Amino acid sequence: MIKFFIDSKEVTAKKGESILEVARREDIYIPTMCYLPKATAIASCRMCSIEVQGQEGFVLSCNTPPVEGINVITNSDSLYHERQNIMKLYNVNHPLQCGVCDKSGECDLQNKTLEFDVGEQDFAVRDQARKKKKWGIHTYDPALCILCEKCATVCNETVGNEALFIKPGGYKSHIEIDLSNCIQCGECISVCPVGAMASTDFKYTSNAWELDKVPSSCAHCSSACSLNYESKDGTIMRVTNESDFSSLCGAGRFGFDFENRVLNKDENAFNEAIESFKRAQNVVFSSFITNEEAYILNELKKKLGFNLVNEDARLFGEFMKNFSTTASESLYNATIDDLKISDFIISIGCSIESDNPMIKFAASQAVKNKKAWVASIAPVVEHDISNVVSQYINNEVGSEEAALAMITDTFIEDKASQQTFFDSLDLGYLSGESNISEEELDLLKTKFARKLNPILVIGEDVINHPRAKNIALLAGYLQKSELFKVIIVPPSTNTLGVSLICDLDKPQDGFSVGYNAPADFTLSAKGSGDLDMPALNQQEGTFVNIDKDLVVLNAAIKHHGYELNDIANALGVESENIIDYTSKLGFKTIEFDDLDNYYDNVGNAYRGYKIESKKNRKKATLDEVEELAEYNGSVVYARNPLRQFSSFTKDCKQLDAKLELVGSEQFALASKIKSGDHVKFSVDNVEFSRVFKLDKHMKGTVAYNPTFDMDLKSSGYRYNQVKLEVINE
Amino acid sequence: MNQEQFNDRNVSDDGYLKVDIADYPTTPWGRFKRVVDRTFKLELFVGLWVVLREMIKFDIHTVKYPEEKMPIGPRYRAVHEMKRLWESDTERCIGCGLCEKICISNCIKMDTKIDENSRKEVSEYTINLGRCIFCGYCAEVCPELAIVHGGEYENASDQREHFVDFAQMLTPIDTMKEGKQLEFEGFGAITPHEDERVKKTPLAY
Repeated sequence: MIKFFIDSKEVTAKKGESILEVARREDIYIPTMCYLPKATAIASCRMCSIEVQGQEGFVLSCNTPPVEGINVITNSDSLYHERQNIMKLYNVNHPLQCGVCDKSGECDLQNKTLEFDVGEQDFAVRDQARKKKKWGIHTYDPALCILCEKCATVCNETVGNEALFIKPGGYKSHIEIDLSNCIQCGECISVCPVGAMASTDFKYTSNAWELDKVPSSCAHCSSACSLNYESKDGTIMRVTNESDFSSLCGAGRFGFDFENRVLNKDENAFNEAIESFKRAQNVVFSSFITNEEAYILNELKKKLGFNLVNEDARLFGEFMKNFSTTASESLYNATIDDLKISDFIISIGCSIESDNPMIKFAASQAVKNKKAWVASIAPVVEHDISNVVSQYINNEVGSEEAALAMITDTFIEDKASQQTFFDSLDLGYLSGESNISEEELDLLKTKFARKLNPILVIGEDVINHPRAKNIALLAGYLQKSELFKVIIVPPSTNTLGVSLICDLDKPQDGFSVGYNAPADFTLSAKGSGDLDMPALNQQEGTFVNIDKDLVVLNAAIKHHGYELNDIANALGVESENIIDYTSKLGFKTIEFDDLDNYYDNVGNAYRGYKIESKKNRKKATLDEVEELAEYNGSVVYARNPLRQFSSFTKDCKQLDAKLELVGSEQFALASKIKSGDHVKFSVDNVEFSRVFKLDKHMKGTVAYNPTFDMDLKSSGYRYNQVKLEVINE
Repeated sequence: MNQEQFNDRNVSDDGYLKVDIADYPTTPWGRFKRVVDRTFKLELFVGLWVVLREMIKFDIHTVKYPEEKMPIGPRYRAVHEMKRLWESDTERCIGCGLCEKICISNCIKMDTKIDENSRKEVSEYTINLGRCIFCGYCAEVCPELAIVHGGEYENASDQREHFVDFAQMLTPIDTMKEGKQLEFEGFGAITPHEDERVKKTPLAY
């Protein structure tokens, strides 16, 4: 703790905090242009200069830690003059096009120019012709750019793409892009303080002040990031976020037009739905659902006695149950924020790149800021994130259990409590079968030395693995050992919430009703079923996200049709509004309207509340590692391309992704196909027809098979041996 | 004039010419006397004579509306006009949306989009004159002097939708080509001494 003074007010700084951070925390205003709280200080604008009493000259508050006892002066005549001059320099040849600029009304340059009363200009330089550039979803106007470097910083540090960079050249400096690295996430757009980086789709369609902001949570993946839907006349125009503190991936930022537009209530379909519920054997639903709706379905189950089916959440729930027996608590203990400050990350069974983009964003920040060692244990090598992953450990398909057992054996020192398990391990056999060499583990072990915040990331591959139970036990054992913090990535948006709320069953034969899942009678938020339901941007509710936070979802667009609550009311589970159930979910008894959804001045998120982990007193012993199934020939891996998660992202107009089976040359050779071939294959009795695309960077015999076009993705093991059939016309 | 005088609203005291009019009769006898006077004293013919005299003179002051119309002041605020640029004959409107924002009766509605030259283009612009209160804020806030008030005050129509379209408000291109577009002289217009007020940016070249 460092005690010092800001404008004679006594404040204390924690270790590593800068003067600016302390000032923000204490509500003391220091103007900035380039400061981005979620990244390391850029220090390009020099607006945050301050004076220290008794010292000559200015100090940059954004990257200077305080010294005991100093008195910082945040405002004086000379500081004002300095800042005014900076604003004047920023305004040199800045086009006076505020009238047409999208940023007008929320522009930092506009605000600070007025704040520092820059009415006239003392500086001049010869203007130059600068061409606008279109880079896919974003356009760049170098004439408007003030070179604050925020976009390049987020691209490199927060997102970890290294696509944007500064092309230096004095007054000619501008931002350049390496488009092959760009994942079109739009983080650069969100942090741009001026109108230089703009969304191609949004450009010139409306002004900042015309938009109604609805703070909500992203509905696409389990991160459920905080976002604001900004709509005009009942249409969502764009998505923004608290870009100072949080991030969004491309799907969150550009995949907002998945609403289900219904003009009126279809009474016939509604009555049919009620009849269907009454005689349903199974009610199948996907995890793209709010907690409240899941709760309603569970109540209906109690009343009507059908089987409530959601394989994705059931498997996850089972995984967590097994996990808790060795972990002694019901939930995993790491969050995305922990991942950001972690210095050693092992990921197993997770497509870091595409399963949950926030995992990748966080890993990138850990690598950049904490020099983290990131090891990815997976049968595929995701070459696009090679700047994030330090060590690819390439296991054989299906050998995740062996891999985790070897990890456990490598890191656990005190083996007494599970002696029989460790004795039963035949490391030579496991190493041979899983193809993980001792050298790889030794390297991992060496890198582990003196690490303070190691985290284990458990992905979807192992949750629906045939040997999921023992993997869960191992993961729980690792959490209990306190060697690793563990984070388990829920496969879909609200898988965790559903698994905590609902009492799920295995499917049985008989008439089934589906909610966003194919069935005999389908309630669909896609508009493709028998009764239209509101999509997740049209309803109020809550999610439980990967951080175990119960986060708030608000309706950005009106829904004119029926919702699940109407059906429940008709079936005798009565409540006026669906959000009345929020306090009854079984977590905390807080009403929906009392839930917070904002970030404070320093960036602490106040989003709903954290679900507390419960103690589990059961004791379990680890199972022996079973002999491994062999996967030979062509193996496809159910993995969506970036910015695609489900059928909800599929039809978003700004998210274009092709339904391509992407594989390596080796895969093409082994399967006797070539790039451009139409192929047919079936996985878990679902027929897929895809165009094969050769990716030269890929290696191995595993190909990526996108599943985002399916109404309900399969919850089986994600790797499948397939027989490919070429069906070229 | 000091403030006290300014606030003195008792105008009847001085400065006014008082016409010598007899008081109204208050008694029934007085009212009867007034009727008799008006009927038999030939006052009626005084008025008729005035009308006859003016008619014979043929110097009529009546404006024969709607054949004739009174000229209206340049600052009159009637139906809006959209001006074109003198230099290029294109629309002045840049689609900034300030008029839409400032409109206190919410009668302006506009949509913009990006055009093929990647410039901002107004794709939809309407003013609902049924709601417009002709306050002039839109013309005042317009940074381009594009939307102004015109002199067209005849709003009678059998269709509500009349006079609200962008195309109808825009100066016809023929008028523009002939150089007959009239500038608005009301609030926000360029004053004769504008050049002296403009502060110039220093130029290095």
